[in-house]
Amino acid sequence: MEDLASHLVEKAISLGCQDAVADIVSNRSYQIRFAQNEAVISNRWRESTASVFFVYQKRVLASDIKDLSKADEAVERLVKIAKGSQENPDYAGIAKGPFKYARVRPDPKVLSLDEGGKYVEAAIGGALDQGAKECAGSFWKYEDEHFLATSNGVEGHDHRASLYLSIRALVSLESSGHGIACATKLSKFEPEKAGHKAGRIAALAKTPKSGKAGRYTVVFDPLIFGSLTDQVGGRLSAWAVLAGLSPFGKKIGKRIGSSQFTLYEDGSAESIARKRFDAEGVPTKKNVLVNKGILKTYLHNTSTAKKFRTKTTGNAGLVAPEPHAVFAKPGDRSRDEIFSEVKDGLWLTNTWYTRYQSYVTGDLSTIPRDGIFHIRNGDVVEAWKDIRLTDNLIHLMKNVEALSATTEQMMWWGEVSIPNFVPYARIKDVGITKSAE
Amino acid sequence: MDEGNDLVDFAVDYAMKKGATYAEARYEHQEQENFILKNGVLDALYVGQDRGVGVRVLANGALGFAATNMRTKSDVRAIVDDAIKGAKASRRRTKITFAHEDAITMNWSVTEQRKLADVPVEEKIAEIQAVDRDLMQLGFKIAARYFQLSDNRIQKYFSNSEGSHIRSYSPRLRVFYFLTVLEGSDAEQTYRNYGWSGGWEGIRAWDLKNRVLEEARSMHKSLTEGKKSPEGKMDLIAGPQVSGIASHESCGHPTEADRVLGREASQAGKSFIPPDGLGMRVGSDVVTVVDDPTVENAIAYYVTDDEGVKARRRYLYKEGRVTEFLHNRETAAAFRTRSNGAARAVNYNVEAIVRMANTFVEPKDHSIDELLEGVKHGVYMKSFMEWNIDDKRYNAKYAGREAYLVENGEIKHPVRNTVVELTTPAFWSAVDAVGKDLEFEAGFCGKSDPGQALDASLGGPTMRLRNVYLR
Repeated sequence: MEDLASHLVEKAISLGCQDAVADIVSNRSYQIRFAQNEAVISNRWRESTASVFFVYQKRVLASDIKDLSKADEAVERLVKIAKGSQENPDYAGIAKGPFKYARVRPDPKVLSLDEGGKYVEAAIGGALDQGAKECAGSFWKYEDEHFLATSNGVEGHDHRASLYLSIRALVSLESSGHGIACATKLSKFEPEKAGHKAGRIAALAKTPKSGKAGRYTVVFDPLIFGSLTDQVGGRLSAWAVLAGLSPFGKKIGKRIGSSQFTLYEDGSAESIARKRFDAEGVPTKKNVLVNKGILKTYLHNTSTAKKFRTKTTGNAGLVAPEPHAVFAKPGDRSRDEIFSEVKDGLWLTNTWYTRYQSYVTGDLSTIPRDGIFHIRNGDVVEAWKDIRLTDNLIHLMKNVEALSATTEQMMWWGEVSIPNFVPYARIKDVGITKSAE
Repeated sequence: MDEGNDLVDFAVDYAMKKGATYAEARYEHQEQENFILKNGVLDALYVGQDRGVGVRVLANGALGFAATNMRTKSDVRAIVDDAIKGAKASRRRTKITFAHEDAITMNWSVTEQRKLADVPVEEKIAEIQAVDRDLMQLGFKIAARYFQLSDNRIQKYFSNSEGSHIRSYSPRLRVFYFLTVLEGSDAEQTYRNYGWSGGWEGIRAWDLKNRVLEEARSMHKSLTEGKKSPEGKMDLIAGPQVSGIASHESCGHPTEADRVLGREASQAGKSFIPPDGLGMRVGSDVVTVVDDPTVENAIAYYVTDDEGVKARRRYLYKEGRVTEFLHNRETAAAFRTRSNGAARAVNYNVEAIVRMANTFVEPKDHSIDELLEGVKHGVYMKSFMEWNIDDKRYNAKYAGREAYLVENGEIKHPVRNTVVELTTPAFWSAVDAVGKDLEFEAGFCGKSDPGQALDASLGGPTMRLRNVYLR
């Protein structure tokens, strides 16, 4: 596979390309989906793909070659198409290697794991123990192996494997909770704990009442705070800024969060998305995005970095820069302190369907799901339902007033698209709306 | 394609020999071409040749699925073994069964007046650049312009252990655009999505250039002449884009039978409609919402679904009542009915699940003038920007993009960011008249894990809602 990556790069260069990248990816992932407390389907993949990026006189072409037995023919065809395309004057090349990469290997116990049924049963059992009636979710063993070569001297190999479980527990249609388990080591994988959390929230959310619109101090559980930090991380891609899809344009050096809020991005750190290098082969590293509320950088590849007169942050995707994993700096409060300091507010545990009225202003709404609780003097007084969080991304970050001292790794279908390491967060003056009768 | 056909037939036979009680296999060859034109610059051209085989089996009353893009018999044998092993390891207490279907042998294809494969990429790029150039000549500041044109030519061969053998060819064309218009520090943003099953003629059918220019002008007008939207109870005239999104979100999704049964509970959610909810009233007598894969040239057109079941029109809500769920063979068996051909997969490497196709409010006979005539005070919301709905599909929000004040039947000045935040029954019960101006836009419908963002059409005519709360 390593040879194939180099061969495809050499082939593209011999056909006249100035830059070429080939990433041969072998996917051997495995999944169990479950619903109504039992497995509904088991899915397995055996796929090998060459993700390629060719540049002919600033004409940029990307492709996935699925038939590796005819990869040479595919490269010839692709280069011919690239020659007929148009120049991208903003294209500024790919990173110059070679690079040295951190030595990291996947857990052999994760690699050899061939059946996940007992982890599904553990998660469901954990939720039912807490009073849940119905559980649904997914167990994943992710495994992919990358062989990367570029025309700028990069050769890299990265074998990635991790475990993931997402469980939603329900007592009834309107009483539910969600739990997540992520691990790169089998010994750290805790599906039962995820089930417990989901079941506990579901049981607490029994007989919810219709919520009331207003502005509240809100405790964000890590899963929903992760969806907000995921929005911040994704909108900090320089590509999103240039496309009008970000509220962070022209805000470098300016305040976009409270002094409590520090956010960094780090593909090299331990997470279920850990990567040795980005799509150009640049070693991943820690990038401070927001320091005590001040925006420090966008996420860059070589081309966007040149446009913004800075250096790549090691976040190249095949075309656009993207975050690998996002980390919120923890605060100094215990979880209990986060709650106890709320006189009259809410505790939100999950959300979905975050949408913007304006990406450039950050005006958005998102719909809390699973447990929604009204808190008085730190205690849950009742469960709510049918509310919507209607606010502004920057306003929310500026109003972060306290964070708990420990973070959890969150990733969830759609809303938390990559691992986000997040604490409990307390945010003041959060807009809540609801449907009119 | 023949090579893929052989592998599919081999997979089905081998699965049955290995102990499956039912087996199906799908070979797909998708040829994709798409590009992004961002602020006048061609960002990158993407060209893909995606092909492979997916196998699904029933064994011991459980489902197993596996897929590969390596097209040799030994690789296909390995994925069949994977699928059977996975199914058997499930140890289900309740056995999954499939509703009966007759075997089908057929070939179907979508006609292209001008084949997508015959249009040089230079011509496709030039078409979008011409729109972008005209946009730049409008004389006001368009801070960000983003266009994406994509086409996908999908060949499939489906076979199952009951004797179905179906070959199909489905070419699809899409344009997505996103604009940001600025006036001082104030911004107006929009996105639109058009889809077509067929050839390059779709680009003319959309009248893309005029639509984009008209949209940009309306954005500028909103910025320069727009006023605060009125608040309180009043009438709402909802344009086709608004009725389209509402039909998809609060009619199509809640009638997906897998969602009703809880199979999607952890991801896309459940439904406010219970399993015994057929007949339940959710709207006024004038509300009929259908999902129809047989609408010619709509992006989600198909003749047979990905379980080999013939497609047909489905009446989801008829005269205000829930009348039919969307089914695949698994959910149909659970409801003791027949599949209505709603099983679809985004590619060979994922299972087919219950999906909408082209979902729309059935048009009636009112003109827009007639709908406006009866409005003393209200808002005409032609399009929306922000929208969302909860996971039981009960609380929806649509925030206006292009909207106008209406007084005594006349359209007045633009109003900004009108918010419609209503429950599903409150929205559909308020509809008292439905227009005849049916229009479709395309969307990507998200569901399942791994996520399957699938082609869908969202459509409807202009509708009038009485006495709803707006802000």
